[in-house]
Amino acid sequence: MNFWEKMEKMDRRWVYLMVGLSVILPFIFPLDLPISITPEAQSVFDEVEKIPDGSTVMLVFDYYPSTIAECEPMAIAALHHFFRKNCKVITLSNIPLGGPSMAEAVTRDMAEKYNKVYGVDFVNLGYKYGYVAVLSGMGQSIKSIFPTDNSGTPLEELPLMTNVPNYDSVAFIFEIADNATADYWVSIVYAQYGVPMVCGTTAVSAPKYYSFVASGQFKGLLGGMKGAAEYEQLVGHNAAAVTGMSAQSLVHLLIIFLVILGNISFFLGRKGHKKELV
Amino acid sequence: MRTTVPVLIAFISGIVLVVSFFFRKGTWLGDLEQEFTVWLTIVGGFTLLLGVVSITRVNWTAVKRKKEGWKYKILTLIAIFAMAIPSVLSPDWSPLFGRAEGSIYDWLFQYQMSPMMATMFATLAFYIASAAFRAFRARSLEATLLLVTATLIMLWRIPMGEWFLNLFPGDIPYLLNTYIMGGINMAVQRGIIIGAALGAASMSLRIILGIERTYMGKG
Repeated sequence: MNFWEKMEKMDRRWVYLMVGLSVILPFIFPLDLPISITPEAQSVFDEVEKIPDGSTVMLVFDYYPSTIAECEPMAIAALHHFFRKNCKVITLSNIPLGGPSMAEAVTRDMAEKYNKVYGVDFVNLGYKYGYVAVLSGMGQSIKSIFPTDNSGTPLEELPLMTNVPNYDSVAFIFEIADNATADYWVSIVYAQYGVPMVCGTTAVSAPKYYSFVASGQFKGLLGGMKGAAEYEQLVGHNAAAVTGMSAQSLVHLLIIFLVILGNISFFLGRKGHKKELV
Repeated sequence: MRTTVPVLIAFISGIVLVVSFFFRKGTWLGDLEQEFTVWLTIVGGFTLLLGVVSITRVNWTAVKRKKEGWKYKILTLIAIFAMAIPSVLSPDWSPLFGRAEGSIYDWLFQYQMSPMMATMFATLAFYIASAAFRAFRARSLEATLLLVTATLIMLWRIPMGEWFLNLFPGDIPYLLNTYIMGGINMAVQRGIIIGAALGAASMSLRIILGIERTYMGKG
């Protein structure tokens, strides 16, 4: 068995070890790599900048805890951006599995840093079953869909919500999703009510949403951890996504290296096998 | 009766939602859409409850009969009720109840469920690396095209890769974003989205008209 044949039959545990080291080492020895800004991420930043200070905006936590690494940095950067502009933030989720809890934890933490008051500067509506009905129903009356907020407080008791009966009072929507709910924000809310919106999504989902960006239905797009890192840089708060890019860089390079190695060993191994047959 | 009533409900609900879309809000038909939407969220809430009842029955039966893996099913049952019961109890009784910060539900979510789900998802990276090494071969023209495109996009999405691509003449990162992501990818995605939308529309019409009855467990 020659070297390339051995390579082709390499135990997968070596691969796992290499991936593990590629993830861990950059956190111990950060690489501090320059991150370029794509036009789609720049558009997200520019669109938020365009919102008049003090406007009411929606930040939607449509992602599962499994994609926190990619999506949460987007939410944190968006909250920095919104609170800096003194925007009133309404959060909600169409994900039953922890969406409202993630919104609650992230928003309260950020609000504390900006001295924002619950009920006046931000509100968490929580979760309601049936995203199509929820998105459609809020167009006429948010209160009819969410009679109370996430902790059960009636909306009449929250000063922010008394001024926001439906989408007409919402200046902007920032949708962060790791699933197809983003499609429904476009097809129901943007198409019927014309509220400007941007989307932050996982790297796997991002290719799908390029068509919505090109058509102007999403004003901008953040794709995966790279998109989150770009937005963090634009907002001026480098955090988890910028740090995570070093690990992602090494893992991507490792996978490319393994693919090349796998192909070389495949072709050389096949050549050797043919020679043996001759 | 068991077939006619659901078909009738589906027909009326579907027709009302389609027709009311074309009427202004404030008119009787326009407002009916909102009424139906609220009903949908309420009915949906009950389906979640039905899900809990169903999973409890299935797991409890397996535990009683000591079927294979019954010990794990006990864990499933404990997990369901440990999260569900404190979250529905009033926080007025104790700060441990409800879903606010510091509650049992919040603690279990933040420190148990969330890390476990993230770990499960992160494990994929290991399998993807191993699978890429073993299966991603340039065996045909199509596979080679896929391999080259994937490699270029992976390089473009990381700072080191972008730096490497910029060593070559021509703005390769710009070309990848414009022609691969904003060109070929977008055209294909649009085809898929439009195809799926047409499929969903035709399926909806079949359900409204009572042609499609598989949702009732009938062919």
